[in-house]
Amino acid sequence: MDTTVEKTLVTTPRVIGKPASFYIGQTLRYLLYLLIGLVMFTPFILAFLGSFKTDAEITAYPPKFLPAKWLVQNWVTVWKTDIGQGGTFPRWLFNTSFLSVTLAFLRVIFCSLAAYSFARMNFPGKDLAFTFMLSTMMIPDAVKLIPAYVLMTKLKLINTFWSLILPGIVDAGSIFLLTQFFKTIPKDLEEAAFIDGAGHFQIYRTVILPLARPALLTVFILQFQGAWNDFLKPLLYLNTPDKYVLNVALSIFQQQYKAQWNLTLVGAMVNAIPILILFFIFSRYYIQGVAYTGVKG
Amino acid sequence: MEKRIEQSRSGTIPAIWTFILIVLISLIIALFNAPTVGGPRAMSSAAAYLSEVRHTGLPYIIAVGIGAAILGFFAARAVKQSWSNQMRRNTLLTGYAFLAPYLLVTLTFTVGVLLFALYISFTSYDIFTPPVWIGLQNYARAFRGLVDPIQKDFIQSLYNVLWYTIIVVSVQTSLAILLAVLLNTPMRFQQFFRTIFYAPSVTSSVVITLIFMWLYLKTGYVNFVLAKILGLVGVHWEGISWLGDPRGLIELIVNAFGGSISSDLWYLKGPSIAWMSIMFQNIYTTVPTFMVMFLAALQDISPTLYEAASIDGANGRQQFFKITLPMLRPIILLVVVLGTIGALQVFDQVYLATQGGPLGTSLTPIYLTFTEALGKQGPIRMGYAMALAFTLAVIIFVITLVQRRILERGTELY
Repeated sequence: MDTTVEKTLVTTPRVIGKPASFYIGQTLRYLLYLLIGLVMFTPFILAFLGSFKTDAEITAYPPKFLPAKWLVQNWVTVWKTDIGQGGTFPRWLFNTSFLSVTLAFLRVIFCSLAAYSFARMNFPGKDLAFTFMLSTMMIPDAVKLIPAYVLMTKLKLINTFWSLILPGIVDAGSIFLLTQFFKTIPKDLEEAAFIDGAGHFQIYRTVILPLARPALLTVFILQFQGAWNDFLKPLLYLNTPDKYVLNVALSIFQQQYKAQWNLTLVGAMVNAIPILILFFIFSRYYIQGVAYTGVKG
Repeated sequence: MEKRIEQSRSGTIPAIWTFILIVLISLIIALFNAPTVGGPRAMSSAAAYLSEVRHTGLPYIIAVGIGAAILGFFAARAVKQSWSNQMRRNTLLTGYAFLAPYLLVTLTFTVGVLLFALYISFTSYDIFTPPVWIGLQNYARAFRGLVDPIQKDFIQSLYNVLWYTIIVVSVQTSLAILLAVLLNTPMRFQQFFRTIFYAPSVTSSVVITLIFMWLYLKTGYVNFVLAKILGLVGVHWEGISWLGDPRGLIELIVNAFGGSISSDLWYLKGPSIAWMSIMFQNIYTTVPTFMVMFLAALQDISPTLYEAASIDGANGRQQFFKITLPMLRPIILLVVVLGTIGALQVFDQVYLATQGGPLGTSLTPIYLTFTEALGKQGPIRMGYAMALAFTLAVIIFVITLVQRRILERGTELY
């Protein structure tokens, strides 16, 4: 993995005995970072503050930066949303979390199995399967998702979580990333295990998986985020209020609450905050994942 | 001699099994993906469904069967060759056992579905009645907008995404490079800065779109900030409804010079204000992701190159154009290709913010495919929707191929 990224970023600049121009440059640099950061984060700050404003204040012109009175009631109203047929806010939060964790977990298992066979075994048809996998990555998602709707109706999977889980247990991009990572693990360990008579599954479980923990975590985080943020698939396949995920529910919110943008923004914040916290904790893995697919892909 | 015969015989039966298994699995997958009526009613009994398949899907099944038989033949031959050696036999079996979940899911939900969609694109099909073969009519209909301005939806959607791709890809790539170069230095509080910089690209497009819809309101912050800034230089800014404004970029320029463009010549107007607002929002979310890729690539450039250059007296700008950019070429290619594929498929923002309006200036092919396939506007036209999707897929393929050619030709120089 890209340890080089980490190392160079971690080393702090030496500041002993530098001329004054150095400090000025340094200050300007951090001011620039702050400025970029401010541009990137401003919409979130505005939306967060907006979620506490009153109905009148949220669309008033000229807009005020801070709410006149912090209306925590908005968050309570959204939490108690009930659009009937079991469509409640806690339910949507549960659906989203359940699907994201399940999908990420299953993908780590099934993708690492496939990646092991690509990285460590030699059998006829392997190269063909690998090329096949790479070429499926080129196919635009929408070209298969919409016709898959017909298949889902035939399999009676429409409006069940299976419609997202079953096709989602594998992902070509993750297999590719894990294959590349597994190839970097030295073979000495497993050769010793082989001599002791271990089979491939044993080696996969006891040697490769423990050593590949950072890569597995990277895949888990990326896939969790991908599943949490997915919109088109749940919009197509899940269509009663008790099955909605947050993203789909939010799109309905906006119609439900009409001009009450403060409530829509609460919904947006509840959707964004878990991902931002997760990202804050695991940003290293997330960035490694993105950088890795970029550089090595 | 005797032993060798025995060994080769022991491989024959597994080979036959392999052949049967592959053909059987392919046929089952093909059966589910056969072009027939959809919905649970068709599946009420196996017999009912099979008669549907016989009725409308026989050519499809036969084609898949032939393909499966060819694949099965080669697989069987490989099995026969590996079977006598215990080690190779084990690897073969475990290898495919490990790959089985991936292969089965992909064959069912990607390959099968794609073949189904390709077949359906030549038919008239509304899911609930059997598909009727109509040849190339769906494709012809997609391009009828070229001669008949009333049916210009698809042509206009292509026009829109082409503008979108050109502007979004070029701006996001250059901004990402610029930011990566600025940030490619040791940094304190990196956890803090990272979270802030990447926040737009980790949150869902739905969240970002909703926030921007609010910012873009006539009474929103975008108008407010513009009014403030322009007020400083004494210009009065009349707030506009960003996502509802159909005036095109070129139209605005022409208007500024006192001309006007009639609505028949919609294709001369350029991207509308609404469409450019969505572009801006999209750039805001994609730049951080691509910046990370560039940052990682910058770390791989050897510092000795820069040292040598500065000894030779190259200034910062020369170093950027003569070292950094050429070294980043492979990543630029990747970012441009990924960005193009993403931009041509834009959907979420359109579905939420504009529904294709105003005046169709934010229609996109995927949005049209979605509305046609699910009958959101008029009857369900699955066949037509699939024809649109395949046309888009071909366009994406051709454009990325051309990009690869152009950018890879450049790398030969270095």
